Amino acid sequence: MSAESTTPVIAPALRLEGLYAGYGRFDVLHDIALHVERGEAVALLGPNGAGKTTLLRAIMGMVKQRRGVIEVAGTDVSRLPTHRIARGLVGIVPEGRRLFLGQSVEDNLRLGGLHLRHDHARTAQLLRSVFDLFPVVERYRARPATALSGGEQQMVAIGRMMMSDPELMLLDEPSLGLAPLAIQSMADALLALRERGRSILLVEQRVDLALQVCDRIYVLSGGRIVEQGAADDIDGRGRALIDAYLG
Amino acid sequence: MLLQVLLSGLAIGAVYGLMAMAFAIVFYVTRVINFATGQLLMVSIMITAALSRAGLPDIVSVVVGVLASTVAGVLIYLLAVRPVLRFDRFSFAWLVSTLGVAIVLQSLAAIIWGPTSRGFPALLNRDNLHIGGAGISVQELLTIIVAIVVLVGFELVRRRTLFGKLGQAISADPEMASAIGARVTGFAIAAFAIGGLLAGVAGILVGPITFSNPYLGDTYGIFGFIALMIGGIERPAAAMGAGSCSASCPSVRTRSSARRRPTGSRSSSSWPCC
Repeated sequence: MSAESTTPVIAPALRLEGLYAGYGRFDVLHDIALHVERGEAVALLGPNGAGKTTLLRAIMGMVKQRRGVIEVAGTDVSRLPTHRIARGLVGIVPEGRRLFLGQSVEDNLRLGGLHLRHDHARTAQLLRSVFDLFPVVERYRARPATALSGGEQQMVAIGRMMMSDPELMLLDEPSLGLAPLAIQSMADALLALRERGRSILLVEQRVDLALQVCDRIYVLSGGRIVEQGAADDIDGRGRALIDAYLG
Repeated sequence: MLLQVLLSGLAIGAVYGLMAMAFAIVFYVTRVINFATGQLLMVSIMITAALSRAGLPDIVSVVVGVLASTVAGVLIYLLAVRPVLRFDRFSFAWLVSTLGVAIVLQSLAAIIWGPTSRGFPALLNRDNLHIGGAGISVQELLTIIVAIVVLVGFELVRRRTLFGKLGQAISADPEMASAIGARVTGFAIAAFAIGGLLAGVAGILVGPITFSNPYLGDTYGIFGFIALMIGGIERPAAAMGAGSCSASCPSVRTRSSARRRPTGSRSSSSWPCC
């Protein structure tokens, strides 16, 4: 048997094929085909109402898909409940962060690593990696999540996602409502995650941030993928096209 | 006299407190008030009394009675709460559905065992202890101890364990809790089961001092709910405390009226509901 034939084929972190999903009787997403390779950061751009958040919710199993394939690291998650998907397959930083505000920063982080709660060594290691990335979070670990600024809360939300050690990280408009300085810190954190080999699907409205952080971009409009390409290839004309789609 | 009133009040309050706790734990996780909680107490009393009359040993009757109220709690969630929350997570339809279950349980009990009161096994109510001149039955003492154990246990779990913090997280944002890997439905089932268990235990503790009656659930359900409202719906421990405090006043009143009762009337119990 040749060496080539024994090399296992590594499934992409995310593969969507012919995906239709929506609410009630209405489809929001139509025939979505998208993939995120391992260690790759991909941006999903689009105007308000394009279906970006619905797409992330469909991957998390919060919106049931009507047709199509959703595979995460080679696992078909289209029939899995959300809590199973969240256990090491997909982690999410939702729009608005949605931290558990009644709890401390550290409790929020530990809750993120719920499925690893019996593996104390792994939990400690993940907690350390969060604190290395966000030293300010370690400083405020005992504070209630409500006592933090928007930027700091966003760090906790990213840390909570990291604690589940997922195959794929989803971030829904993490720059929303943040000051310019906080946005840059967040971009640096995302770049650090990419350097650590994490697979990221980033939903953003800020094209500059998406181009800075991601390897490739998809543009979603009216629930369909209308453009895609490598971030490096986006020239002035492509940028103008994206801006036009974003309105 | 004061010690006697205090002990009696505490014993009664412990039952109200357990009922308040049964309400509060369900609300703590699911944001639903199970208005059939009083009827779960009645279920454990009626089944325990029926099995005891059928000749089963008391311990077996008690275990089956408490198990029955626990299972009934889970069934209430699965049949009357979960379907309406699935339809609309933010609707208050559970208010009507749990009240409906309360009426159904009460009516079923009346059909099966008849609407009149019957006896309940004495269990530990025969033995009395004397503390500083005040008398207290072993049953009443057990009631206080159980309430304290439940209260301390609950607070320890809530404050010190990830499990307790997860309960809070599910209560605050069930969808996000699910997105971090929590089995929200499993937690809700567990909350209703614990609610049923506590109501069932309260029933066993109060049973020997009262009768088995299909309409008993209303009284204890209302008292438990009042304790919950006084203590704070989001603070099960405070609800338990409120149950104990609120029971002292009726206890004093019952003591006063007991002294005015004619000789030979049933005055051995300090329980206002009897």
